[in-house]
Amino acid sequence: MFNALDISTSALVAQRTRLDVISSNLANISTTRNERGEAAPYTPRYVMFETDPEVATRGGGEGVKVASVEYSNVQPSLKYEPGHPDANEQGYVAYPNIDMTTEFVDALEATRAYEANVGVIEITKDLGQQTLQILA
Amino acid sequence: MLSSLFDSSTLPVLEQVVNFTQARHGVLAGNIANIDTPGYKTRDISPDEFQSRLKEAVEARWQKNISPTYEINAQLAGRDKVIGHDGMDKVRESVKSILYHDNSNVGIEQQVAEITKNHALHNLALSLMTAQFRLMRTAITERV
Repeated sequence: MFNALDISTSALVAQRTRLDVISSNLANISTTRNERGEAAPYTPRYVMFETDPEVATRGGGEGVKVASVEYSNVQPSLKYEPGHPDANEQGYVAYPNIDMTTEFVDALEATRAYEANVGVIEITKDLGQQTLQILA
Repeated sequence: MLSSLFDSSTLPVLEQVVNFTQARHGVLAGNIANIDTPGYKTRDISPDEFQSRLKEAVEARWQKNISPTYEINAQLAGRDKVIGHDGMDKVRESVKSILYHDNSNVGIEQQVAEITKNHALHNLALSLMTAQFRLMRTAITERV
Protein backbone atom coordinates (compact mmCIF):
# COMPACT_ATOMS: atom_id res chain seq x y z
CA MET A 1 0.00 0.00 0.00
CA PHE A 2 1.48 3.30 -1.05
CA ASN A 3 0.30 6.84 -0.64
CA ALA A 4 1.24 10.28 -1.89
CA LEU A 5 4.00 10.44 0.69
CA ASP A 6 5.82 7.52 -0.93
CA ILE A 7 5.60 9.12 -4.36
CA SER A 8 7.15 12.32 -3.04
CA THR A 9 9.81 10.28 -1.24
CA SER A 10 10.70 8.47 -4.48
CA ALA A 11 11.17 11.88 -6.11
CA LEU A 12 13.39 13.04 -3.25
CA VAL A 13 15.62 10.00 -3.68
CA ALA A 14 15.76 10.49 -7.47
CA GLN A 15 16.59 14.19 -7.26
CA ARG A 16 19.26 13.59 -4.65
CA THR A 17 20.85 10.97 -6.91
CA ARG A 18 20.78 13.53 -9.73
CA LEU A 19 22.47 16.08 -7.48
CA ASP A 20 25.09 13.48 -6.51
CA VAL A 21 25.90 12.89 -10.17
CA ILE A 22 26.09 16.63 -10.88
CA SER A 23 28.51 16.99 -7.95
CA SER A 24 30.56 14.19 -9.43
CA ASN A 25 30.62 15.91 -12.84
CA LEU A 26 31.70 19.22 -11.33
CA ALA A 27 34.28 17.63 -9.03
CA ASN A 28 35.86 15.86 -11.98
CA ILE A 29 35.82 18.84 -14.32
CA SER A 30 39.63 18.72 -14.64
CA THR A 31 40.16 14.97 -14.23
CA THR A 32 42.42 13.64 -16.97
CA ARG A 33 43.02 10.16 -15.63
CA ASN A 34 40.75 7.25 -14.81
CA GLU A 35 40.75 5.23 -11.57
CA ARG A 36 43.66 3.07 -12.81
CA GLY A 37 45.85 6.12 -13.41
CA GLU A 38 45.66 5.84 -17.22
CA ALA A 39 45.36 8.99 -19.29
CA ALA A 40 41.61 8.90 -20.00
CA PRO A 41 39.45 11.95 -19.26
CA TYR A 42 36.45 11.60 -16.96
CA THR A 43 33.22 11.01 -18.89
CA PRO A 44 30.29 13.16 -17.74
CA ARG A 45 27.37 11.15 -16.42
CA TYR A 46 23.63 11.57 -16.71
CA VAL A 47 20.91 10.16 -14.47
CA MET A 48 18.02 8.48 -16.26
CA PHE A 49 14.65 8.78 -14.52
CA GLU A 50 11.69 6.54 -15.22
CA THR A 51 8.23 6.19 -13.72
CA ASP A 52 8.03 3.51 -11.07
CA PRO A 53 4.78 1.51 -11.21
CA GLU A 54 5.84 -0.21 -7.96
CA VAL A 55 5.15 3.05 -6.14
CA ALA A 56 1.67 3.99 -7.31
CA THR A 57 -1.47 5.32 -5.70
CA ARG A 58 -4.98 4.25 -6.53
CA GLY A 59 -5.63 7.64 -8.11
CA GLY A 60 -3.12 6.87 -10.86
CA GLY A 61 -0.17 8.72 -9.35
CA GLU A 62 3.15 7.09 -10.08
CA GLY A 63 6.51 7.45 -8.39
CA VAL A 64 9.87 7.91 -10.02
CA LYS A 65 13.03 5.85 -9.85
CA VAL A 66 16.56 6.09 -11.15
CA ALA A 67 16.69 3.69 -14.11
CA SER A 68 20.44 4.03 -14.62
CA VAL A 69 23.37 6.39 -14.60
CA GLU A 70 24.71 6.67 -18.14
CA TYR A 71 27.82 8.10 -19.72
CA SER A 72 27.68 11.12 -21.97
CA ASN A 73 28.86 10.43 -25.53
CA VAL A 74 30.29 13.90 -25.99
CA GLN A 75 33.93 14.06 -27.17
CA PRO A 76 36.52 15.31 -24.64
CA SER A 77 37.69 18.87 -25.14
CA LEU A 78 41.32 19.18 -26.19
CA LYS A 79 43.55 21.81 -24.62
CA TYR A 80 47.03 22.61 -25.91
CA GLU A 81 49.39 21.91 -22.98
CA PRO A 82 52.60 20.42 -24.37
CA GLY A 83 54.32 20.10 -20.99
CA HIS A 84 51.45 18.14 -19.40
CA PRO A 85 52.32 14.50 -18.58
CA ASP A 86 49.01 13.38 -20.10
CA ALA A 87 49.45 15.31 -23.35
CA ASN A 88 49.36 13.36 -26.65
CA GLU A 89 51.98 13.54 -29.43
CA GLN A 90 50.53 16.81 -30.72
CA GLY A 91 50.73 18.32 -27.22
CA TYR A 92 46.98 18.26 -26.54
CA VAL A 93 45.49 17.16 -23.22
CA ALA A 94 42.00 15.63 -23.26
CA TYR A 95 39.82 17.24 -20.60
CA PRO A 96 36.24 16.21 -19.75
CA ASN A 97 33.79 18.19 -21.84
CA ILE A 98 31.74 19.54 -18.95
CA ASP A 99 29.99 22.89 -19.17
CA MET A 100 29.97 24.39 -15.69
CA THR A 101 26.99 26.65 -16.39
CA THR A 102 24.85 23.77 -17.62
CA GLU A 103 25.78 21.68 -14.61
CA PHE A 104 24.98 24.54 -12.23
CA VAL A 105 21.60 25.16 -13.81
CA ASP A 106 20.95 21.42 -13.56
CA ALA A 107 21.96 21.45 -9.89
CA LEU A 108 19.64 24.36 -9.25
CA GLU A 109 16.80 22.56 -11.01
CA ALA A 110 17.40 19.40 -8.94
CA THR A 111 17.40 21.49 -5.76
CA ARG A 112 14.17 23.24 -6.72
CA ALA A 113 12.55 19.90 -7.61
CA TYR A 114 13.65 18.52 -4.23
CA GLU A 115 12.15 21.55 -2.49
CA ALA A 116 8.93 21.22 -4.47
CA ASN A 117 8.58 17.61 -3.34
CA VAL A 118 9.26 18.55 0.27
CA GLY A 119 6.47 21.10 -0.20
CA VAL A 120 4.13 18.38 -1.48
CA ILE A 121 5.01 16.23 1.54
CA GLU A 122 4.06 19.12 3.82
CA ILE A 123 0.73 19.49 1.99
CA THR A 124 0.07 15.73 2.26
CA LYS A 125 0.75 15.88 5.99
CA ASP A 126 -1.52 18.90 6.31
CA LEU A 127 -4.33 17.08 4.46
CA GLY A 128 -4.11 14.23 6.94
CA GLN A 129 -4.15 16.69 9.80
CA GLN A 130 -7.27 18.39 8.43
CA THR A 131 -9.05 15.03 8.13
CA LEU A 132 -8.10 14.26 11.70
CA GLN A 133 -9.71 17.49 12.86
CA ILE A 134 -13.03 16.32 11.45
CA LEU A 135 -12.68 12.88 13.05
CA ALA A 136 -11.70 13.94 16.51
CA MET B 1 -16.38 -2.17 36.14
CA LEU B 2 -13.79 0.28 34.87
CA SER B 3 -12.00 -2.29 32.73
CA SER B 4 -15.23 -3.38 31.10
CA LEU B 5 -16.15 0.25 30.54
CA PHE B 6 -12.94 0.76 28.60
CA ASP B 7 -12.86 -2.63 26.90
CA SER B 8 -16.31 -2.17 25.45
CA SER B 9 -15.14 0.81 23.41
CA THR B 10 -12.52 0.98 20.69
CA LEU B 11 -9.93 1.94 23.31
CA PRO B 12 -8.15 -1.47 23.43
CA VAL B 13 -7.67 -1.33 19.66
CA LEU B 14 -6.42 2.27 19.75
CA GLU B 15 -4.17 1.36 22.65
CA GLN B 16 -2.50 -1.29 20.52
CA VAL B 17 -2.06 1.17 17.66
CA VAL B 18 -0.37 3.69 19.98
CA ASN B 19 1.73 0.89 21.44
CA PHE B 20 2.83 -0.18 18.00
CA THR B 21 3.58 3.29 16.67
CA GLN B 22 5.65 4.12 19.75
CA ALA B 23 7.68 0.93 19.37
CA ARG B 24 8.16 1.55 15.65
CA HIS B 25 9.13 5.17 16.26
CA GLY B 26 11.99 3.97 18.44
CA VAL B 27 13.21 1.56 15.79
CA LEU B 28 13.01 4.15 12.98
CA ALA B 29 14.75 6.75 15.14
CA GLY B 30 17.51 4.20 15.62
CA ASN B 31 17.80 3.80 11.85
CA ILE B 32 18.16 7.55 11.38
CA ALA B 33 20.70 7.77 14.18
CA ASN B 34 22.76 5.04 12.50
CA ILE B 35 22.43 6.41 8.97
CA ASP B 36 26.24 6.69 8.66
CA THR B 37 27.16 3.60 10.67
CA PRO B 38 29.05 1.19 8.40
CA GLY B 39 27.42 -2.21 8.04
CA TYR B 40 24.31 -1.13 9.92
CA LYS B 41 21.26 -3.04 8.79
CA THR B 42 18.00 -1.12 8.68
CA ARG B 43 15.48 -2.41 11.17
CA ASP B 44 11.74 -2.17 11.07
CA ILE B 45 8.64 -3.50 12.74
CA SER B 46 6.29 -4.62 10.01
CA PRO B 47 3.17 -2.42 9.97
CA ASP B 48 1.45 -4.85 7.60
CA GLU B 49 1.94 -7.72 10.03
CA PHE B 50 0.61 -5.55 12.84
CA GLN B 51 -2.39 -4.39 10.81
CA SER B 52 -3.35 -7.92 9.78
CA ARG B 53 -3.06 -9.21 13.36
CA LEU B 54 -5.06 -6.26 14.60
CA LYS B 55 -7.71 -7.01 11.98
CA GLU B 56 -7.86 -10.64 13.11
CA ALA B 57 -8.14 -9.59 16.73
CA VAL B 58 -10.89 -7.09 16.00
CA GLU B 59 -12.80 -9.66 13.95
CA ALA B 60 -12.38 -12.23 16.70
CA ARG B 61 -13.79 -9.76 19.19
CA TRP B 62 -16.78 -9.25 16.94
CA GLN B 63 -17.27 -12.95 16.40
CA LYS B 64 -17.38 -13.49 20.14
CA ASN B 65 -20.41 -11.28 19.84
CA ILE B 66 -18.85 -8.53 21.81
CA SER B 67 -20.93 -5.61 20.73
CA PRO B 68 -19.76 -2.21 21.96
CA THR B 69 -22.06 -2.45 24.94
CA TYR B 70 -21.83 -6.21 25.46
CA GLU B 71 -19.55 -6.15 28.46
CA ILE B 72 -21.50 -3.50 30.30
CA ASN B 73 -24.71 -5.35 29.56
CA ALA B 74 -23.09 -8.61 30.67
CA GLN B 75 -22.14 -7.11 33.97
CA LEU B 76 -25.52 -5.54 34.48
CA ALA B 77 -27.16 -8.88 33.71
CA GLY B 78 -24.71 -10.76 35.95
CA ARG B 79 -23.33 -12.89 33.12
CA ASP B 80 -19.84 -14.37 33.39
CA LYS B 81 -17.01 -12.97 31.40
CA VAL B 82 -13.30 -13.46 31.13
CA ILE B 83 -11.67 -10.69 33.08
CA GLY B 84 -8.43 -9.16 31.89
CA HIS B 85 -8.44 -10.56 28.41
CA ASP B 86 -9.03 -8.19 25.57
CA GLY B 87 -8.08 -10.63 22.78
CA MET B 88 -5.04 -8.58 21.80
CA ASP B 89 -2.29 -11.10 22.69
CA LYS B 90 -1.34 -11.83 19.10
CA VAL B 91 -1.20 -8.12 18.34
CA ARG B 92 1.20 -7.58 21.23
CA GLU B 93 3.36 -10.37 19.88
CA SER B 94 3.64 -8.76 16.45
CA VAL B 95 5.15 -5.64 17.99
CA LYS B 96 8.06 -7.72 19.27
CA SER B 97 9.07 -9.19 15.90
CA ILE B 98 11.78 -7.15 14.22
CA LEU B 99 12.55 -7.65 10.56
CA TYR B 100 16.14 -7.34 9.43
CA HIS B 101 16.38 -6.25 5.82
CA ASP B 102 19.45 -7.25 3.88
CA ASN B 103 19.81 -4.06 1.89
CA SER B 104 21.59 -1.85 4.37
CA ASN B 105 21.53 1.15 2.08
CA VAL B 106 18.15 2.61 2.82
CA GLY B 107 18.36 6.37 2.54
CA ILE B 108 17.38 9.09 4.95
CA GLU B 109 14.39 10.06 2.80
CA GLN B 110 12.63 6.71 3.15
CA GLN B 111 13.27 6.62 6.88
CA VAL B 112 11.94 10.13 7.38
CA ALA B 113 8.88 9.33 5.25
CA GLU B 114 8.21 6.22 7.34
CA ILE B 115 8.65 8.09 10.59
CA THR B 116 6.25 10.78 9.32
CA LYS B 117 3.60 8.18 8.45
CA ASN B 118 4.13 6.54 11.82
CA HIS B 119 3.80 9.90 13.55
CA ALA B 120 0.52 10.57 11.72
CA LEU B 121 -0.87 7.17 12.72
CA HIS B 122 0.16 7.74 16.33
CA ASN B 123 -1.54 11.13 16.45
CA LEU B 124 -4.65 9.73 14.77
CA ALA B 125 -5.00 7.00 17.38
CA LEU B 126 -4.35 9.42 20.23
CA SER B 127 -6.89 11.94 18.92
CA LEU B 128 -9.51 9.22 18.64
CA MET B 129 -8.73 8.10 22.18
CA THR B 130 -9.04 11.67 23.43
CA ALA B 131 -12.41 11.96 21.71
CA GLN B 132 -13.56 8.72 23.39
CA PHE B 133 -12.48 9.96 26.80
CA ARG B 134 -14.21 13.27 26.17
CA LEU B 135 -17.43 11.42 25.37
CA MET B 136 -17.05 9.40 28.54
CA ARG B 137 -16.47 12.51 30.61
CA THR B 138 -19.51 14.17 29.10
CA ALA B 139 -21.56 11.15 30.13
CA ILE B 140 -20.10 11.12 33.64
CA THR B 141 -20.48 14.83 34.34
CA GLU B 142 -23.95 14.84 32.77
CA ARG B 143 -23.10 18.17 31.23
CA VAL B 144 -23.36 18.88 27.55
